[in-house]
This record gives sequence, C-alpha cells and structure tokens, in this order.
Amino acid sequence: MSRKKTEREYKRSFAYHFFRWLNGNEDPLMGQVEMKPQKPYQETPEEIRRKIRERNALFLRFYGVVKSREVRNFERVYKIASVIFCSILIALLLLTVSYLPPVGSVERPINNEVAQRYIEKGLEETGAVNIVSGMILDYRAFDTLGESHVLFTATVTVLILLRLDKKKDSKNSSPMERTEIDDQVYEPQNDAILQGAAFILVPIIIIFGIYVILNGHLGPGGGFSGGAIIGAGLILYLNAFGFQKTERFFTEKTYKWISFSALSFYCVAKSYSFYTGANHLESIIPKGAPGAILSSGLILPLNIAVGLVVASTMYAFFVMFRKGGF
Amino acid sequence: MFEWIQFIVGTAFLLTGIVIFAIELYGSFHYDYVLNRMHMAAFGDTVGIGISLLGLMIISGLHFTTLKMMLVIIFLWCASPVSSHLIARLEVTTNEKRELHMEEEKE
Amino acid sequence: MNVLANVKNIVYMGALIVLAVMLMLCLLRAVLGPRVADRIVAVNMMGTIVMVMIAILAVKMEEGYLVDICLIYAMVSFLSVIVITKVYMGVYRERKRIRRKEKDV
Repeated sequence: MSRKKTEREYKRSFAYHFFRWLNGNEDPLMGQVEMKPQKPYQETPEEIRRKIRERNALFLRFYGVVKSREVRNFERVYKIASVIFCSILIALLLLTVSYLPPVGSVERPINNEVAQRYIEKGLEETGAVNIVSGMILDYRAFDTLGESHVLFTATVTVLILLRLDKKKDSKNSSPMERTEIDDQVYEPQNDAILQGAAFILVPIIIIFGIYVILNGHLGPGGGFSGGAIIGAGLILYLNAFGFQKTERFFTEKTYKWISFSALSFYCVAKSYSFYTGANHLESIIPKGAPGAILSSGLILPLNIAVGLVVASTMYAFFVMFRKGGF
Repeated sequence: MFEWIQFIVGTAFLLTGIVIFAIELYGSFHYDYVLNRMHMAAFGDTVGIGISLLGLMIISGLHFTTLKMMLVIIFLWCASPVSSHLIARLEVTTNEKRELHMEEEKE
Repeated sequence: MNVLANVKNIVYMGALIVLAVMLMLCLLRAVLGPRVADRIVAVNMMGTIVMVMIAILAVKMEEGYLVDICLIYAMVSFLSVIVITKVYMGVYRERKRIRRKEKDV
C-alpha cells in the first residue's frame, strides 16, 4: 500500500493520535495495542547487584570450590618460595661444578689414582670379595640410598596417575569394581595346568632370589638383581592364582610398611657409618673373614633392605598397570 | 687319559644337541600351520637343551656349576610345556578360520 | 696338555658360531610368520638357543656364576609368554563382544 506520508510522519500527526483515542485499545489491523508506549529499559544498581550475586551463587554450586583464608595465603607464599628455592639450588650446583678440574687434566676422577686404590685395597678395607658390591654399598653407599629413593618416587608417581577410585560413583559401583568384573568375564581364569606348574615353580624362584641376595658380596648378584627375581616370582603367583588369593598377603598396607621400614633402616645404618667416619673412630661392626657369608660389615643387611624395596616396587608396578590398584 | 675320555664323551652329547636344534629350525620352516611349528619348537626346548647341557655337565666334572645346570634343566622341563599349552589356547580362541587348517570333533 | 686346550678352544668356538647362525634364522621366522602365535614361538626358540650359548661360555671361561644368568633368562621368557597370552585373549574377547553388540543394534 503506498502512502503519501511515511509512517513516521503519520505517527507524529494529529489524526493518528485522535483516532487512536477514539478507537481505544483496539486497532482494526493490529489487534490490541497499548495506548502509552513503554519507556526504554534502564538497569538500576539494585538489579546489577542482584545479578552478580546470582552468578556467584551459581559458580559456587557448580564448581564447589570455597577456599579458606589459609589456603589462599599458602598459595601466594608457595609461588614466591618455589621460585626462590629453585634459583638457590641452581646457583649452588653451578658453583660446585665450577670447582671441577678441566677436561683432560691429570686430576680428573677418570684419570687419577682413585680407581687403582679401589682395586688394590678394596678387599682389606671392605671385606667383600666382590669389589663392585663393596664399592656401591661401602665406598659410595650414599648414591645407592638415592637410587632406592628414586624407585620409591617412581612408584608413588605411577600410583597418582593410574589409580582407580574405590568410592562408589553415580552408577552405584566404583570404577575398580567394574574393571574387576570385566576382567573376570573376559579373561581365562583357573587354568589347571598353569596352577600345577606354579605350585612347583614359585618356591624355586623365591628361594633362588634369596640366594642371589645373600651372596651379593661373594659373587655377582646383590640387592638389585635378587629383588627383581623375587618380584618376578610374585608376578607368576598372581597370574596363576588370581587377585583374591594374592591379596591375602600383599595389600597396600604391606607395600607401604615394607618400603618405609627398609628405607629408614638403610638411613639409620649409614648415618652410623658417617658418624664414625667423620670423627675418625673405629666402627664396632666386624669385617670377618673374606669368603664367608657373615662378613664385610654392613653390606649384608643393606643388600637385604635394597632387595626388599626392589621386589615390592616391581610387583606394585605390575598390579598398577593391570588393575589400577592393589 | 681320563680327561680325554671325559672331553670326547661330553663333546659327542653337545654335538648331538646342536644337531637336534638344527632339525628343530628346519622343521619350523617346513610346516604350514602354527600348531605344527609349535610341536617342533617344543621338541628343541626340552630334548635339545637337555642333551646339550648333559654334555656340558660331563665336561665340567663334579663341581657346583654342574648342580646349577641340573636346576636349569628341571626348571625348563617344568615350564616349557605350560608355555606351549598357553600358546595353543591363544591360537584356538583367536583364529576364526580354523576349518581351513584342522578338523575339529563336533561335541 | 697344550693339545687338549687347543682342541677345546676349537670345539667351543665352532659350536658358538653354528648356534649364532641359527639365531639369525630364528629371527627370520619371527619376521615372516603371519599370525601372532608364530612370533611368540620364534622368540621362545631364540631364548632357548641363547641359553645354550651362555652355558658353553660358562664352561669355556671357567666362571661358575654365569649359569645363574641362564636360569634367570628361562624364568623371564616363561613369564613373558604367560602375561602376553592372558592380556591378548582378554582384549580379543572384549572387542568381539563389543562388535557383536554393535551388529545387533
């Protein structure tokens, strides 16, 4: 429909207003209309505050994180302290490295007289026929302490990453229960031939592992290889007989107690050696005759401690990757 | 003189063992299906290594090493048939085209 | 006694060379075999041949402690076969069931 005036001009004219007042709320074309137009929407400060309060409450219910004052302070301090600590550590290590003699000189550890002395005087000073065992557990026992702690740290890291929850979640069963039921349905269990073979072989393997640990100072072997053999024996037992029978004697508590007591025994025994060595005293522990089992001072108990840590670490790794928990 | 006799008898056993290993290797290339090849491999695992280590035991005489070799033989004779059983079980459950290679008895 | 030592050396070295050649042929079998079980069998065979080689070396060098390594090797190969077969069978059956469910739906 073409008009002479545009709609805007028409709405400003007198005839429009008059006929609207005459016809009331009803318009023949548009139906019910309002007589007075609305004012544009303006936000009051009350409304803005109400909206902010609602959004905060929603976040709180959704994310559920309420930090107390102590936690917030700790986080601030932690960021600064970690940067300071790392830079101090880097500065100390660089300072130590700069004291080493330059490459190729006579005083470097590769070329000097330390290796000669280990070979010549190793037997009389440590009492061990196996010079390598004497070196890693007597001359340089501090490094072996660090290695055992590295094993422990590795297990803790794998535990953080791979463990399944034991709490029941929305489906009314925990993730660990569901993996167990899956395993039981899909995997072949209770193989009679394998159980018969494991019945004979597991004692042989464990006794052989103990033999290798105890003969660490007389021949090749020692704590690390013996511990690996015992761990392999436990894995064979687990595969043949299932998880429930193994959990009768090896649970998470067992693993924690074995690692903790073995590592603390190692620390205590070696600090005694440090004390007597630093003050130029003679230690009480006898060296014995070379070639006998009860000889060479502290090497035998330390071998046993290292072997226990390695065995439980190997078993823990296998169970973590298999089932997600002990 | 006694040493020569010991050495010759031990070497005879050792060479027999190596010949058995060679037969095992030829057999695993000759047959078509995995279960037949496994039969030849088990052959080498038990008899082959038994006779070879018996020869080495005779050469070294009465020594602690001899006892350890006997332990190795006992361990292998207990463990190798179990491995064969498990591999056969794996083959039977995962192969879907079994009728091409073997006949099964309908139960 | 020099004759005996020379003959011993020749016999040991010959046996070791023959066994080493057989080891390479076993590796060929492991690469060629079309199924999974072929490869497991071939690796087992290789382990047994290596065990005989270690025992010959132990007698040649007259160090009694190398036979311990033989025992450890036997145990490790046995254990690896057990774990591989169990895991493979479990995964295979699970996938088969999932595929059958998808087909039905």
